[in-house]
Amino acid sequence: MNAGAGRFGTRGSRARQVAATALLAALAALTASGIAAAEGGPTRSEYVAQLEAVCKPDALATQKAVKGVKDDIRAERLAVAAGKFSAAAKIFAGTVRKISPVPRPPADQAKLAKWFTYLEQQESYLKKIVAALRAGSTIQAQRDTARFVHNGNLANNTVLAFGFNYCSFKFSRFG
Amino acid sequence: MRRAAAGGGAWGARAAGLAALAVVAALAALGGLARGEQVQQGNLIVSLDGGISPRGLPRDRPAPAAVSLSGRLRTADGSPLPRLGGIELALAGRGLLFTRGLPLCPRQRLRNATGAQALERCAGALVGHGRLRAEVFVPHQAPFAVHARLLAFNGRARGGGVAVWVHAFSAKPPVSFVLPFVVRHRPGAFGTALRASLPRSIGPWPHLTSFEMTFGRRYRYRGAFRSYLSASCPLPPRFTAGLFPFARATYTFAGKRRLATTIVRGCRARD
Repeated sequence: MNAGAGRFGTRGSRARQVAATALLAALAALTASGIAAAEGGPTRSEYVAQLEAVCKPDALATQKAVKGVKDDIRAERLAVAAGKFSAAAKIFAGTVRKISPVPRPPADQAKLAKWFTYLEQQESYLKKIVAALRAGSTIQAQRDTARFVHNGNLANNTVLAFGFNYCSFKFSRFG
Repeated sequence: MRRAAAGGGAWGARAAGLAALAVVAALAALGGLARGEQVQQGNLIVSLDGGISPRGLPRDRPAPAAVSLSGRLRTADGSPLPRLGGIELALAGRGLLFTRGLPLCPRQRLRNATGAQALERCAGALVGHGRLRAEVFVPHQAPFAVHARLLAFNGRARGGGVAVWVHAFSAKPPVSFVLPFVVRHRPGAFGTALRASLPRSIGPWPHLTSFEMTFGRRYRYRGAFRSYLSASCPLPPRFTAGLFPFARATYTFAGKRRLATTIVRGCRARD
């Protein structure tokens, strides 16, 4: 740089000024875009990765918690089954609590708001299933389970394009 | 719910050994599950719908039933679908089919046949019907849709196993081909699988966009009525309805890309 400045004289200092201005402009533009990106939140794929990391251990824990519940239902050990579903409901509630504050991609705000509404309903249906089983009300438990599964499918359809695995509703995880 | 068949004679014996249902299964009621379940991978979306008829079934023994399945394939942005290389339709339970005494339709009798001809040649072996929609890609021409009527016939695979020949015929343009489904039994939640590989010789057809199929057939054998498909709904006495993983469709596309979707459906216990 110095050698060049000496060689070009006054024209060199003008060139330096232009270069410095361009550099500053470029830096400003980069900083501005960086701030915009930070304000805009994560991309969809970043968001999915973040949520899946939370959902995976909880989904596996749910599977463990409900293990054997099929046999409990068949043998009409409803209180035991209720206990297992209660554990699953607690895990589910914890997952929702952990994933809801995660910053969302701006373009997906509306979709995700709808998805979280479904997730809250899922939590409520799980609690209702537990209550019905504890009360020995098999018909009510049947109804709430059907709603739980239907609502889970609606939740999945809302975020279909996200390609969730552990964060999506899967019937097989509950039995 | 559990489905059974009498692969070799009495229905009840096999019913006891059938694959179990999912948990919640034993719990649930049946309302509001009519929509098909969807799965998306990248740009590709597949869905599956279906059910069993009648939904009211005995708890302790299999009864005649029919199964309907419908699938849809699409891309999120409307771009052309990839070529389908194979399809597997798996149903819950094992030994669900009973084919003893049911006439067989040799596959070659369906070659180049119209729907009416196929029916005339193999009416006794008919086990299902349906519709298929595909996109046909012809070089230097806009793709166009073809609607074909489907007829399913009882067949025998090369190794001697049970097969289902699904004959497709479209009048406009006139096209006829056979999708050879081989029936396999295996352990797990989906113990009965109908699997077909789509050879390249089928040409442009494998760009399947949707299908609907209903399987079921009642017939007489040795003086008694038999059913091609049978099912039961083995719930505990205090429960009247249950949900179970009913069917799974697995699509294999060019490049060995696979996409599967599972549907959960219900049954009512009929005492």
